[in-house]
Amino acid sequence: MIWTGLLIGVLFGAALQQGRVCFNSAFRDILLLKDNYLLKLTAFVFALQMILFVLLSQLGWMQMNPKPLNLMANIIGGYIFGLGMVLAGGCASGVTYRVGEGLTTAWFAALFYGLTAYATNSGAFSGWLKWVGQFQSTLTTADPTYYVKNAGPTLASVFGLNPWIPAIILAVILVLYAFLTKTSDRPTKFNWKIASVVLAIISALGFITSTWTGRKYGLGITNGWVNLLQGFTMNKPLTWEGTFILGIIGGSLVAALISGEFKFRMPKNPITYLQVAVGGILMGFGAVTAGGCNIGHFFTGVPQLAISSIVASVFFVLGNWTMAWFLFMRK
Amino acid sequence: MAKYQVTRELDERGEVCPVPDVETKRAIKAAKDGDILMVRIDYAMSKERVPEAVRKVGSEVLEIEEVSSSEWNIYIKVKK
Repeated sequence: MIWTGLLIGVLFGAALQQGRVCFNSAFRDILLLKDNYLLKLTAFVFALQMILFVLLSQLGWMQMNPKPLNLMANIIGGYIFGLGMVLAGGCASGVTYRVGEGLTTAWFAALFYGLTAYATNSGAFSGWLKWVGQFQSTLTTADPTYYVKNAGPTLASVFGLNPWIPAIILAVILVLYAFLTKTSDRPTKFNWKIASVVLAIISALGFITSTWTGRKYGLGITNGWVNLLQGFTMNKPLTWEGTFILGIIGGSLVAALISGEFKFRMPKNPITYLQVAVGGILMGFGAVTAGGCNIGHFFTGVPQLAISSIVASVFFVLGNWTMAWFLFMRK
Repeated sequence: MAKYQVTRELDERGEVCPVPDVETKRAIKAAKDGDILMVRIDYAMSKERVPEAVRKVGSEVLEIEEVSSSEWNIYIKVKK
């Protein structure tokens, strides 16, 4: 069943590439361009996922698994990850699918991202992870119909509500926001509405198929890169997440080739390679500290209404804005 | 090839997003009314994002010319 990761990855990579989905830009555009095109996409895909996750858990096809809450780790890791993604020229998913588009800077960013994530997970920086782990909250969710045992707290569990209630309320608000606000028109065949529906379906299928392999979580990037590096250096077997990464790269490569958008791209200024490497290092360290990247926490965790993911995401955005201001807005 | 009287040329090929958008906006800021800028890009996402950034600051995109596979020249008329 590990191969399902590859399949979901191919679909996800192709959708991200064609939809030009870049969470780095989604956050930054609000500040820099005052544009909400990608934010609308995010709002709509979140609304769809909120409903799908609760529904599929109700049907018994999956169980939500909100990440444990650790304010200290979520805040520090989230902020560092946010700083890193601007330097790296892409978030975890952005950097991964750009590897397949032939962006050579993304290769460096991804490599340093995976390597530092690995080091933080089980290498030179693992002492830090252990230290910050002591601040983990003991709050958990209780409802076995919807949640994995001892999963982290959610908006529903904190307020003692049935998960349907906050999911429906928030989904309605997000849909209203997505459909009632104006945004720029972009000449893409794959616009934000279609992209949202496609991404939500891929996300749900990812959660279900990953559960079949014993990994009870939805899409995520960081551990996949760690798994690939472990496979490469220590011959460890591939997991669902590892094949998912290979799928994203392959799917994006094929989509870019078909649409005539593949090219080996190199920046004129070689310093850019150093910049993206530093960005990758910050991202890897930040993501593992926070317990997830913009896919594991933001894309998959927020729709489960996990408190940890919401906190981490706020700090992804704040870190992103800090670095964007530092690099692009200061005079 | 001299379709336009290009005042200034920006080569943004291989640059990481959002550098092409930001440098285009800076070049527009530094230019005079009526100047023609040519921005060379090679990333499909920039082909959509750069024109959007240009419109946001009130200038005009004259043409997006496809030079070769995944390479474009964007001609911009600066309006002040």
